Amino acid sequence: MGQAASGGLTQGDVDEVIAASKGVFNQAEIESLYKRFRALDRGHKGYISPEEFLSIPELSINPVAQRLVRCCECPNFTTFVKMVAPFSPRASREDKLVFMFTVYDVDGDGFISREDMSMMLKQLAGSSLSEEDRQDIISRVLAQAGGAERLDFPAFKSALSSADLGNMVVEIPVDL
Amino acid sequence: MGELVKGRLESSLPGLRGIVADDKDQEHALVTREGPTKGDAEIDQLYAEAEDKRLLKTSLLLDVLNISNVLTDGVSAMVDDSFNKCFTSTRPEPWNWNIYLFPIWVVGVVIRYLVLFPIRVTLLFIGFNALIVVFLLVDLTLMPSKRKMAMQRKLVQWMCSAWVAAWHGVIRYHGPKPTPGKNRIWVSNHTSMIDYVVLCSYSPFAVIMQLHYGWIAFLQKRILSSLGCLWFNRTEVNDRAVVAARMKDHVNKEDAIPLLIFPEGTCVNNEYTVMFKRGAFDIGATVCPVAIKYNKIFVDAFWNSRREAFGKHLFRLMTSWALVCDVYFLEPQSIQPEESPQEFAGRVQAMIAKYANLRIVPWDGYLKYYNLGEKNPGLIEKRRRVLADVLRAYLGKTSAAPSAMALAKEGKAAVELQSDGKGQKGAIKGGVLQGWQKLCAGGTVHPV
Repeated sequence: MGQAASGGLTQGDVDEVIAASKGVFNQAEIESLYKRFRALDRGHKGYISPEEFLSIPELSINPVAQRLVRCCECPNFTTFVKMVAPFSPRASREDKLVFMFTVYDVDGDGFISREDMSMMLKQLAGSSLSEEDRQDIISRVLAQAGGAERLDFPAFKSALSSADLGNMVVEIPVDL
Repeated sequence: MGELVKGRLESSLPGLRGIVADDKDQEHALVTREGPTKGDAEIDQLYAEAEDKRLLKTSLLLDVLNISNVLTDGVSAMVDDSFNKCFTSTRPEPWNWNIYLFPIWVVGVVIRYLVLFPIRVTLLFIGFNALIVVFLLVDLTLMPSKRKMAMQRKLVQWMCSAWVAAWHGVIRYHGPKPTPGKNRIWVSNHTSMIDYVVLCSYSPFAVIMQLHYGWIAFLQKRILSSLGCLWFNRTEVNDRAVVAARMKDHVNKEDAIPLLIFPEGTCVNNEYTVMFKRGAFDIGATVCPVAIKYNKIFVDAFWNSRREAFGKHLFRLMTSWALVCDVYFLEPQSIQPEESPQEFAGRVQAMIAKYANLRIVPWDGYLKYYNLGEKNPGLIEKRRRVLADVLRAYLGKTSAAPSAMALAKEGKAAVELQSDGKGQKGAIKGGVLQGWQKLCAGGTVHPV
């Protein structure tokens, strides 16, 4: 295709990664992501550490940078691709919602509890929002989302049923 | 007011998608000016714009749970970001892939590594060492005098020429040859340490350099010091006043050798240029820009200090056919009365970028060495504060600070004008502005 063999990536690897990410990426995008992975992974350890992610200036000033970077602990290439997969234009709405839920569910127990929401709000809205306001907001949100003490995935999904997730797309730069 | 806002809007807001200046904007990116750091009110206003629009069609539930925008920003930066673009070398297309060209290429490799390289190294070794010996002799035996300085400069010039010959440099110099003058300072874009050698082989320069280790340090301290080169440590350079004082000192000397500064502060890949630091533009001297453009046809002269040792970089240069480059000496510029040093730096950067065909990127080169979010938590706090205001509004409370949204109402009218001028590409610099324009117009933002 005009690119020299991406050092270390075999066709078998590509097929495996495409399968793992449910086929939302084509070969060119996988190759491009691999180049990016190699560029970020200094020292070629095979995974990207949180510090290497945070050395990207645009990422380091993202409010939820810390959460994003710890969401997938030290991703290897397959995990990296799986993380980016929901942002492909070919990904389904379901995939996007699952990803958002996973990020929001800080303790990873499958439910968004008050503590999860409190932590996320701290990252999203910062310290200018007082603790009392935060709890107030959490109560209101839980009430509006069905009244349970914590949100499971179906509740999360229906809460966001009117949300337009069309902008949740990241374009992978591909050399032609 | 519209004009003022336009000037401010040109300053891109870091951290948002679309900061990449894509190909479509290249010609305009070339004349993009570097803006001063944004004022608080400005940022609040713009962010509040966006949140305000979103607020119109959203609810507390969505605002809290729908984190798709921040996530998209984050993942988009993971996948590609404009800062790292400045430090990547594009791999050249292999041209040796068929049965006719491959043997020719092999012959070429053999000649380059086994014939040219040894010859070059030997000649360089002999020539350079001879010159060093002569230099040290002159240094130790002659009394400090004008004649001694002139001789030393000539010797350094010859030494640099020896190096350039070792790389088989094919260098074209355009523009008038620099002459020492009072209150003048030279600035150039930076691709590798060899920039200095390339320039010095034509006309002697003093330079402010990072003090290195090993054999380079020896060269730096013994020989380059005679030219009046100034040393610093990156940590010390934070003390701007010290460096500024030293620079001022130097340019005010009577027969000062031209002082060369690399305002980028780090090596960039010769396709992009990062933010010019305003130190050299702040001392009240006339600035003479120099643009250096390397032709990558035989070798890529970019020294990626994170990936390559300097020795390996030199080896690569000495085993290629030639080092081709163009050097442009541009018209000296003075700071205009209403210009700030940062704006002046931006103007000079635009000149250099035009001649050397570089794309301007608003990041500070030193971001290679530190984490932006850690050093400037204020940037993250600003974004958080906007969402906090929005959420508090749901609770029926207004924020403590003058509401960003109140400011937004005022600024809205002015910004509206900008949205209309979408056709004029001149008003829109780079992807970020497009992102904001779209966001302000209520549209969706796709990362560029």
